[in-house]
Amino acid sequence: MTRAVWLSLLAVTPILAGREPPARVADPDGAPATQFVAAHCVKCHGPDKRAGGVRLDDLPADPTKAPDRWTAVRDQVRDGLMPPAKEPRPDAARARAVVAWVSEKSGGRADKAPNRGNLIPHELLFGKPARAADPPAPRVWRLNPEAYMGFVQGVARGKVNGLVQPFVLVPERGIRDFAGLYAIDEPSTEILIRNAEAIVEVQTAHELKDGKVLAKNGAVREFVALMDPKAEPTAQQLESAVQVQFQMALGRRATADEVERFGALYAKCAKTGDRPGAAKTVLQAVLLKTDALYRSELGKPDGQFGRRTLAATELAVAVSLALGHRRDPALTAAAAKGELTTREHVAAHVRRILADPKADTARLLGFFREFFEYGGAEDVFKDKPKAFVHQPRQLVADTDRLVLYVLAADRDVFRELLTTPKSFVNYATAKNKQKGADEPKPGVVLNPINNKGQSGVESVYGVETWEPVQPVTLPANTRLGILMQPSWLVAWSTNFDNDPVRRGRWVRERLLGGNVPDLPIGVVAQVPDDPHRTFRDRLTVTRAAQCWKCHQRMDELGLPFEQFDHFGRLRTAEPVLDPEATAKNVDKKGKPLGPVYRDAPLVTSGTVADSGDPALDGPVKDARELVTKLANSDRARQVFVRHAFRYYLGRNEALADAKALQDADRAFVESGGSFKALVVSLLTSDSFLYRTAPNPPAGATK
Amino acid sequence: MNTETTRREVLKLAGYGSAASLLAPLLSQVAAHAAGDARAARKKVVFVMQCNGMSPAHVLPSGVQRPKSGKWANDKLEEVALKDRTLHAALEPLTPYKDRLALVGGLSGRIALSDHSANHGALGCYPANKGPMAATIDCALGAANPGIFPYVALGMAEKPDQTLNYQLSAAGPGKANPVQCNPELAFKALFGSVTGGNGRAAFDRRTNLLDFMADDVKRARGQLVGDERAKFDQYLEAFENLRDRQVRIDAIAGELKARAPKLDAQFAKPTETNRLEAQFEIAAAALITGLTNTVLLTSGGGGQHFPAFPELGIPVGGHHYGHGGGVPGKTYEECFVAVRQYHCKLIANLAKGLQSVNEGDGTMLDNTVIVYLSDSGDGHHPQLREWPVVLLGDLGGKLKTRGRYLQFPAYEAKAHRTMANLYCTLLHAVGKPTDKFGVPDPGLKEANQSGVVSELLG
Repeated sequence: MTRAVWLSLLAVTPILAGREPPARVADPDGAPATQFVAAHCVKCHGPDKRAGGVRLDDLPADPTKAPDRWTAVRDQVRDGLMPPAKEPRPDAARARAVVAWVSEKSGGRADKAPNRGNLIPHELLFGKPARAADPPAPRVWRLNPEAYMGFVQGVARGKVNGLVQPFVLVPERGIRDFAGLYAIDEPSTEILIRNAEAIVEVQTAHELKDGKVLAKNGAVREFVALMDPKAEPTAQQLESAVQVQFQMALGRRATADEVERFGALYAKCAKTGDRPGAAKTVLQAVLLKTDALYRSELGKPDGQFGRRTLAATELAVAVSLALGHRRDPALTAAAAKGELTTREHVAAHVRRILADPKADTARLLGFFREFFEYGGAEDVFKDKPKAFVHQPRQLVADTDRLVLYVLAADRDVFRELLTTPKSFVNYATAKNKQKGADEPKPGVVLNPINNKGQSGVESVYGVETWEPVQPVTLPANTRLGILMQPSWLVAWSTNFDNDPVRRGRWVRERLLGGNVPDLPIGVVAQVPDDPHRTFRDRLTVTRAAQCWKCHQRMDELGLPFEQFDHFGRLRTAEPVLDPEATAKNVDKKGKPLGPVYRDAPLVTSGTVADSGDPALDGPVKDARELVTKLANSDRARQVFVRHAFRYYLGRNEALADAKALQDADRAFVESGGSFKALVVSLLTSDSFLYRTAPNPPAGATK
Repeated sequence: MNTETTRREVLKLAGYGSAASLLAPLLSQVAAHAAGDARAARKKVVFVMQCNGMSPAHVLPSGVQRPKSGKWANDKLEEVALKDRTLHAALEPLTPYKDRLALVGGLSGRIALSDHSANHGALGCYPANKGPMAATIDCALGAANPGIFPYVALGMAEKPDQTLNYQLSAAGPGKANPVQCNPELAFKALFGSVTGGNGRAAFDRRTNLLDFMADDVKRARGQLVGDERAKFDQYLEAFENLRDRQVRIDAIAGELKARAPKLDAQFAKPTETNRLEAQFEIAAAALITGLTNTVLLTSGGGGQHFPAFPELGIPVGGHHYGHGGGVPGKTYEECFVAVRQYHCKLIANLAKGLQSVNEGDGTMLDNTVIVYLSDSGDGHHPQLREWPVVLLGDLGGKLKTRGRYLQFPAYEAKAHRTMANLYCTLLHAVGKPTDKFGVPDPGLKEANQSGVVSELLG
């Protein structure tokens, strides 16, 4: 194919529904991607050899005509898996151009699964200034487990006994609450019905005394009015109860049609003579409505290019649940008054909520917990160390506090999180009732009997004494930022060792925006158990060619953290078994007295390679140099912004979201690194506020 | 005699001791009622799926050695009668049922190859990491031979507050069938509507609620298309199914109420062994009362879910000993054996419980097969060239499981058979002849991956 044909192909099928011209030709040399395939792939995947049953010589030039094969080519090239090591290496720039071109041509659709967002090449999103593109399709987003509990709190003011969580999130790493992943199935529905019964019992709690119905604590007056078994409620009483339940559960009034249908349900149930039971059924039904359990983001037509804007009631929920787990009352009120219709309205409310210390902003910390995943420290089983206390829950709590501290200052947040020398150390607070204020106290207090001879949690941080004024500045040249918090190091460790592979994978994915293929099936990933060698030395097993093609994307990014042991303690040497000394360590009768260890020199160097940012690539002498480099990298910051997008929009980014991402990054930078500014930008982006009108369903009926 | 069976009594009935004899008259009576109806002839299949792999060595009877190379090379079936052999220590609790056992080695399942768990692929015979691609065998069998609940999936997750496990069972493409991991909820879902004590009016109200909700979801669904609409379709289907089931349970309410286990404090205890025992007990009651004919019981499994068993002296999850780590007083292999022994005890108790119920001319166990396997095949990091399976019971004479150890031809052999063949065999045995199941293994060029395992089908 000639270059002219190649260009014309791009021209007739531009991406983003005619709004964007093609970003660029795939290959700076002008050779098309099919030539790349011919040069690097067809030797083994041709008509004769067809290695692995794959043939590529007949690949159509248009990726949309063979999407599976083209995507496979893209993924193999992107991840460096093909061509195999024994073949000539393709030029890195050409390879990247092919990856970008295939992504563009195949429509730039996002993968639905968590941890697959990086499949859209970073350059396509940030490589050049983006313009507005088609908003995403309408969707519904099932409440996440915390939001369901927030919903319950909203409708049942008091404590509800016997409530069971009906919803779960997929067991994935990182950001998992994606709208596309969740529906409500039968077992969840059974739980929801049972919960609705329990909630309505609280809402209608009453006692009968001398023929009178008396409301109990936590009950709703309009509901208790329906609990008299002898009195037929008036239509007005019934409607009033339905409206109150609608307002509490859905944040809106019931329509006339809905009032009528719920009235009919009441009449049907009351036929048995159990009027209070009938009323309870009506109240339960409201709690089970789809718009109580799903965030609705269907939008309404706004007259522009078939675009739809989220309705005010939808926006009230979307913004509330982006930031916290409960509906924000002021947003609900604004929606009802018609004061939640513009981008500026939304921005003002987001700023208000973020500035209000009493507002529900639980999802701010939630993002950082899912991004860094330091909370995983509590799930890593370790033998109890003799010399010091290992209390992962406290380590996680300390890091939570550090994140909140950085967020409170809201300056240079990304850089601070990666490089702050400050830390909370075994810190907790307790309420002083006399003073009416929180006072600092140690999180874990040593028990003189159980912890005899042990040093406290502080020692893990390298701090000798507990300080009441925190955060403390850690000793110079020891540790910086979240990635050197003991919680993060433990979360990314195994039962007995550090885990430089997964630490490196985390850096590759979360800060460099790269991809690492899953462990090939059947590969037993085991580091040899040679106690006389350092872990770094034992890990050289991954340097074998078939392992290294993936491990080169991870190991060197994780090895600098060998500066710490697997409990997160700083070290200057790594103890390894001394076989000779052990052999000699015997008593007079020659009975072994146990292993003897020696200190092996510690190597903390690593390498950043193929990061996509030439300024980042190169050797680093230790973890501090690595994180400092990353903290100052535009690319790493933009990848952080991409993850924030996924968290707040509940999906992976698509090419059409490039403008939202660039705007958010710009807001972040121009505000001096304010995370709040970044959130405001995301929640007022077209990607958040608008939807594209759907095609009517074929044969859809009401 | 008090006709309300308490939880502890049912526990004992399921093989824990003396109450079996106490309850025998009641159960005989029930069985006599049952003898005349169609339920007596129903085939019951129970899957017990334990995480962390099943060592092929555990299914070898005494006198049989694995090849030194670790790889079988037999090109024909090798068979040994169990009669004069002893079972591996790990399976020792199954000894009383030796004459009903088939210890099966050599069936492969490499299409589902993955580390830690084949997920839906274990019961589905398809790739492990592509989600629910098609119905798994438990649901396929349940659909072919349904009770009021076509299939019941109960299990234990790693932590007590994990209620549902979506990674092991599937009703169809994209339709994960959750394993209920909370015994109390499992009990309520199966027996709750007749043991709640709210009477007829409550029943009717619930029916009205389910009808109303189905209609309400239909209205909301009209605004959506494609995948978004499918989300609401699932919610709609839930209300419709619940409504349908409610009617069918109502028809046997009296009998169910008399025989449901009674909730007591034991159900609420969160320990691993207690949760698992409660689930086995609920499963037994569901089978005995005819609520279902197909049960999946899981212990951990799916992804990397390896519960610890502190009550057995193993306070760490299976990942630890899966990678060769011991615990104080036990090597990693001793951990594996202890945990398997415990599961075999539960299986033996379940068998004993079913055996104590008359059905037709024999007992309920006579019409049952318990299929014991791991969601991770032959190991923590499996190869799946062989997927060890223990079969207990002959499903009313439909399976040839009476006291045999069978080592099927090796993976490379022309006569090699797969897990898909085994699942086809089960479908044939319950009267739903099916010759293709799951996705064929492309690594098998010559072996016949369709049809039954004729050596097992009676």
